[in-house]
Amino acid sequence: MKNLNSVFAAYLIGWGAFFLFYVSIAKRTNDLRAEVERLKNSLPRCK
Amino acid sequence: MGKRIILGAVAILLVIAAAYASFYVAPEERTMGVLQRIFYFHVGSAWAGMDAFLLCFIANLLYVWKRGQKYDWLGVSAAEVGLVLTTVVLITGPIWAKPAWGIYWTWDARLTSTFVLWLLYVSYLLLRTLIEEPERRALLSALFGIFAFIDVPLVFFSIRWWRTQHPAPVIMGGPGSGLDPTMKKVFLFNVLAMHMFAAFLIVERYMLEKMRSEVDILKREAEAQ
Amino acid sequence: MSLLYNTAILLGKELRTEFRSRELLTTTAVFILIVLVLFSFAINPGTEEAREFAPGLLWLAILFASSLMFQSCFLREQTNDTLSSLRLAVSDPFAIFLAKLIANTLFLLLTELLMLPFFAIFYNIPLWSKLPVLILVLFVGSLGISIAGTAISAISAQARMRELLLPLLLLPLLTPVLVVSSLVTASLLDREPFVQWKGIGFLAVFDLIFLTALWLFGEYLLEE
Repeated sequence: MKNLNSVFAAYLIGWGAFFLFYVSIAKRTNDLRAEVERLKNSLPRCK
Repeated sequence: MGKRIILGAVAILLVIAAAYASFYVAPEERTMGVLQRIFYFHVGSAWAGMDAFLLCFIANLLYVWKRGQKYDWLGVSAAEVGLVLTTVVLITGPIWAKPAWGIYWTWDARLTSTFVLWLLYVSYLLLRTLIEEPERRALLSALFGIFAFIDVPLVFFSIRWWRTQHPAPVIMGGPGSGLDPTMKKVFLFNVLAMHMFAAFLIVERYMLEKMRSEVDILKREAEAQ
Repeated sequence: MSLLYNTAILLGKELRTEFRSRELLTTTAVFILIVLVLFSFAINPGTEEAREFAPGLLWLAILFASSLMFQSCFLREQTNDTLSSLRLAVSDPFAIFLAKLIANTLFLLLTELLMLPFFAIFYNIPLWSKLPVLILVLFVGSLGISIAGTAISAISAQARMRELLLPLLLLPLLTPVLVVSSLVTASLLDREPFVQWKGIGFLAVFDLIFLTALWLFGEYLLEE
């Protein structure tokens, strides 16, 4: 099948893009959670 | 949280099923062979992307009318997901075009319009990075989002008319080409799957934006201490 | 009707401000001229192909010039916060937009008419017989550019990097105007000229749609 490479490339790049997007959301969410922990710890200290 | 996991699981299952159908259920097309199977993924993403932008438009209108923060969160989430989907459309199009027509870009009416659409929403997201105050950012980007979306049909019509004056190779069959019934079912299944997957991504992005907004408020409280 | 009255007064202010110094008109006209000349260097002028590209190049030059021209539109209302005074002076904020967009259309049209002789000479295109329809096309196109440009100017004036942001927001929005105006102008200036009324109609529809959008949402653009 001659154009199978192109078809695989299309699906791979496409799903790669979606996967990267999801991973970036998950990473940013985790970073935010860490920051929330940090902030929560800093608040009672100041009081 | 449970609902989000269910949505995600359903979306991923549908997408895998749709990909399977695209390769093993749909019959092979006569002229293009296996290359045509990109069509299911390409057009499925395109339709889901357009609906994401439609959702962004509705969110923009709701924000201007009601000024609820959640509409701003929904707007940016839908725009980002729509942009990712549209990017995939713009990449898979040329991947199809090169073996089929020998060139990567053919100035095909639909793909060119999609490119302008992509530029409009990139501008939307860029605008958001250039305004710091959250409420002003929400309002101005919502207004630009509204202008951008009403421009979309004008873009599509004008470029289609432009291409009738200067004909060029058409990506994946013009409006006249029909679909075999099985192909049509596989296609619609792909459209459904991509929509579910887009919905899943939008929900996840929305939750991130909601959390980010709450953290900002916490930060301001911490600084005020 | 108070909207028309307010618009007329504000339009008078816009025109008087500009004609006092004429700086916007002159700089925009010179800019279009420079762009037309530079285009000639970038392509092979004087050939048949150059003549085919010329209408598109003209509209491209107009678009670039407009994205510079509209920078000052709302920016100048930020010094001394004259925008607040304007908002207080009128009952309908749409009057502010209407006055500005009419003024902008007039300024654009004026600079385009000034540039037409140069355009005709550089690209060897006889314009005289087609002038009325050409002016009509320039008008509907420039009106669309002004309506969108005035709205976007209000947005970019409130953001950072506004000099770069304005064209970034405006130019994708104006793709339909560029495409259709170039096509209609090209048919008009062709060896066998004909008028594409369908295109002119489309431009009129574009103008109407964006004018309506500005009417519906303009007041929010000026919110404090």
